[in-house]
Amino acid sequence: MEEQELIAGLRAKSRKSTEYLYEKYSRALFGVVSRIIFDKDIAEEVFHDSFVKIIQKIESYDESKGRLYTWMANICRNSAIDKTRSKEISQSNKTNTIDDFVYGFESNSDTLDQVNAIGVKELMNDLNEDQHFIIDHIYFKGYTHSEISEEFGIPLGTVKSRVRAAIQVLKKNIDSI
Amino acid sequence: MDIQAYITSGKLELYLLGELSELERAEVVSMADKFPEIQKELDELEDAIFAIDELTGKTPSLAIKTKIFDSLNLELIEEKTIKPGMAPVEGKVVPISPWKSFAVAASIVAVLASAAAIFYASKFYEKEQQFTALLQEQSVMAGNLNQVKLDFEQNENQLDKLLTGDFRLVKLKGESLNMQKDASVNLFWDQSAKEVFIAVNNLNELSEEFDYQLWAIGDEGPIGIGLVNEGMKMTLQQMQAVAQAGTFAITIEPKGGSEAPTLDKLVVIGNVA
Repeated sequence: MEEQELIAGLRAKSRKSTEYLYEKYSRALFGVVSRIIFDKDIAEEVFHDSFVKIIQKIESYDESKGRLYTWMANICRNSAIDKTRSKEISQSNKTNTIDDFVYGFESNSDTLDQVNAIGVKELMNDLNEDQHFIIDHIYFKGYTHSEISEEFGIPLGTVKSRVRAAIQVLKKNIDSI
Repeated sequence: MDIQAYITSGKLELYLLGELSELERAEVVSMADKFPEIQKELDELEDAIFAIDELTGKTPSLAIKTKIFDSLNLELIEEKTIKPGMAPVEGKVVPISPWKSFAVAASIVAVLASAAAIFYASKFYEKEQQFTALLQEQSVMAGNLNQVKLDFEQNENQLDKLLTGDFRLVKLKGESLNMQKDASVNLFWDQSAKEVFIAVNNLNELSEEFDYQLWAIGDEGPIGIGLVNEGMKMTLQQMQAVAQAGTFAITIEPKGGSEAPTLDKLVVIGNVA
């Protein structure tokens, strides 16, 4: 289904279009949430709320301001970040790292079949220390770039260029996986 | 504006992470509109980020899916017209006999085919006309070219003869005569090859009934060796062969020339030196 057709269907509240959207994007969107929120139940709850919000707020999505996936991923990421700030979540979640993520589900046979653990490790290859730090904080700990700048005393411009560099490495890796 | 610097600034990544202010987002959108390189980079980054999320993601359990669709149940509309991957063309179709639709389709095809036939026939006719015109033009040009070629060959021939032959120049003048004081004709004679050419420098135009005639005067008296075209000035005209002559002269004779020169109408005369 073309993206335009899909969006039209979503605006018409079509169940078929909604199901199609779910099939196509739920894995990636759930990934965005569960990277940041390690607790499976809370992650599922946040994902549930985010997806419902996406369907309900589809009218406010503006194609001219970016692609559908980016808009949805931002909703999920922001919901997850908001959750980590709430009292519901213990501070321990902020210690989430790539390694926790990879080894966490490797040791959890329940989810092992759902996650491409080897792929994730390959994806993180070649990140230098700075880039590893950036990915840890932005992708897994739900930091914003300005929070990293403030909390760790790294100039904002440096954070920006490290975000760029780190994502470039992931982009290169994902292309070769 | 340094596009490359903008691309590498990290701003696009923050845009995709949803970390820019409303104002900054608008800026990125307008930059991407203006510069295709930025749009391209943005598209590639979006693809990569989706692929990364997909790879690092996990499929949510069926239970969560059920829960989500339960929550949305009241809002979603069950309709069969839109299916994933299929254009919404279904709906109520009034059944008609298939022959009718075939007949309609066939007549549409027939009309289209006729229109196409007429169109191409007129195109063909037009092209054929053009082709015929071109052929005619081409044959005229070929004729012209042939004439030019003949003229050229003739000139070259004459030039060859002049260069290779043993020609002497005899100047025929009208000064001493009463007809045309300023008349002047150059005559080139190769005695051994018996060839004579003349080039008219100046001769008055004659009326239709008369011709200029060239005479070679030798031991046997004047012999007519051809008519002179006074209009062909400064061009070589080949005359009849003559082997022996002491004097050349041109007279005005009745149209077609005479057996013997009309001496009172002598125009130019010149002696072989």
